[in-house]
Amino acid sequence: MLEADAEVNRRDFTVRAALTVAPGERLALFGPSGAGKTTILEMIAGLVQPNRALILLKGRVLTSTDKPVTAIPPWRRRVGLLRQDPGLFPHLSVRANLLYGRSDGSDAAAAELTELAGVLGIDGLLGSMPSRLSGGQAHRVALGRLLLSHCDALLLDEPYTGLDSSLRRTLTDLVISLVEERGVPSILVAHELAEAQAYADRLAILDRGEVLQIGAPGEVVLSPATRRVAELVGYTSFLPLQAPNGKPDGLVAAIHPDRVIRGHHPELGIFVHGVVSSCRPAGALWEIGIRSGETTMTARMPEAVQAGQNIQVTATDPPLFGHDGMAATVRPAHAAEGDLGVGWLAQRGQTGNRR
Amino acid sequence: MGASPTVTVTPPAPDGGGPGGAPVPRGLRHANRSLAIAGTAIIWIALLGPVIALLTHLSWHSIKTSLSAPGAFDPLILSVESGAVTLGVLLLLGTPLAWALARGTLPLPRIWEAGVLATLLLPPLVIGLLLVFMVGPFTPIGHLLSGLHLSATDTFLALVIAQVYESAPYYILGAQAAFSGVDPRLEQQAALLGDPPRRVFRRITVPLAAPGLAMALAIAWARAMGAFGAVVIIAYHPTALPLQIWTTLQETGLPSALPFALVLLVVALPLPLAAYFWSARARSRRRG
Repeated sequence: MLEADAEVNRRDFTVRAALTVAPGERLALFGPSGAGKTTILEMIAGLVQPNRALILLKGRVLTSTDKPVTAIPPWRRRVGLLRQDPGLFPHLSVRANLLYGRSDGSDAAAAELTELAGVLGIDGLLGSMPSRLSGGQAHRVALGRLLLSHCDALLLDEPYTGLDSSLRRTLTDLVISLVEERGVPSILVAHELAEAQAYADRLAILDRGEVLQIGAPGEVVLSPATRRVAELVGYTSFLPLQAPNGKPDGLVAAIHPDRVIRGHHPELGIFVHGVVSSCRPAGALWEIGIRSGETTMTARMPEAVQAGQNIQVTATDPPLFGHDGMAATVRPAHAAEGDLGVGWLAQRGQTGNRR
Repeated sequence: MGASPTVTVTPPAPDGGGPGGAPVPRGLRHANRSLAIAGTAIIWIALLGPVIALLTHLSWHSIKTSLSAPGAFDPLILSVESGAVTLGVLLLLGTPLAWALARGTLPLPRIWEAGVLATLLLPPLVIGLLLVFMVGPFTPIGHLLSGLHLSATDTFLALVIAQVYESAPYYILGAQAAFSGVDPRLEQQAALLGDPPRRVFRRITVPLAAPGLAMALAIAWARAMGAFGAVVIIAYHPTALPLQIWTTLQETGLPSALPFALVLLVVALPLPLAAYFWSARARSRRRG
């Protein structure tokens, strides 16, 4: 069990985190660059001195700013940190790198090395020097080095940025199985949502040092707690809704480009009619810009639509936010349709709790 | 250095003319390349000119007469001994300073660096003069030394002091560069894998900096062996190798001094060359 409740001042904001990660659990910290994700990991690893903190790992106090004041140095924390740069020691062979944290050189370590090298698929590389390895191989060795050092927690700081996506998937699956098997609490930091979701069984959204929301990886994306979270997890357009009398009713619907279907389906969500302003390929889909009144939104759809054409789309089950940017807990029971071409479904009534 | 002649020959290509860019005629490319090699060779030969001149002006006979004189090798032995002590002092005192400079752990790092640079910029002769004012017999340090029955003028100690002052900045700045080349994140990683700072220094920092440290030490050795400016002022006696060359030149002329110049080269050069080849090998081994 890893419990961290820590705070450190940065130049223009304070990074605060209160996280608990159970053995074998995988928490992902997701947020934009500079949100303080890496700082949280570095506080846990003892590389950054927090202003206020209580960090416990397996019941051991690693950092405490309350009495008795404790600051275990990094080399006695048993916390493994894997960064984007695998950080292999260039003057040591792969085998020596793997055994670095096991300087006892016992037979047990050698046996474990052989087994783990097999699992990681690096058994043919043990005699090589790190400079000879490909990016993926180097990451496997770095991971093996951490696991052989028997760390009590595994911190992953955007480890696979820059690797191609299939390799990233293989490595992620490998880490997941090893973390589960060994029952190590782990935290992954990512600035790409898909990467965070692929790894985590719990997702925390971080912005400017604050944890905005924690939840299941699917749930956080489908029901963001605030408008800011919605922005961070990929909602790109925010359409103000209108009351039947034509006045704004203060609610804003968040539209995710991947959750828009073509056609008029009022029973599924909000429909928008507008004009296609742009259309360009995005992977196997087409990213379509739609202008509706003064608002623009994007939608990703399986077929191309010519620019200038009229289009009707439905944003399925969009999260709603009030003036304060918080999720609206009750959906409006009225139907509204106005200049923006935004309608609202009367049939659905309530969506229930949004938090 | 060697590329500069090509620049003057290459006509300004209209579209940048990088590799694979503007089609440069094959003949012109060859001419360019030959010119570049020729230019580099001229510079190289010019730099090595004095050594070549030394070898062409030495006669077997003069080597034999010069080196068979009684006590001819005493200055050599003295130089090697004092040089070894100097290297020890540099390793012991210069390494921590170089490490602190490289890691920026000192407050006002620029000031410290400027101090080291100042000793590099001072002409050795001036260092010698100033050393007299610092460690001479009538100074506080001189008094302290005489209390210990030591003296820092015209002694072995004086020779070592002069050599240390002449060679220290070369070692410290070289070692600083070597330490700076070690990625601090590797040291951090080693710490997270369970190594306290001293073990990290021993297992990671020193091995990774070793090629650069060896080069710095070798250059310092060559400087110490050839130290003359400061030595001639505070350690005229006992006579070290460079002073032997100087006095021989003064007393009996150029031909009899040349063999000692050869001896100096033979003693001063092998260590830097060995260090060079060793560090080149270490680097290529690291490349796998």
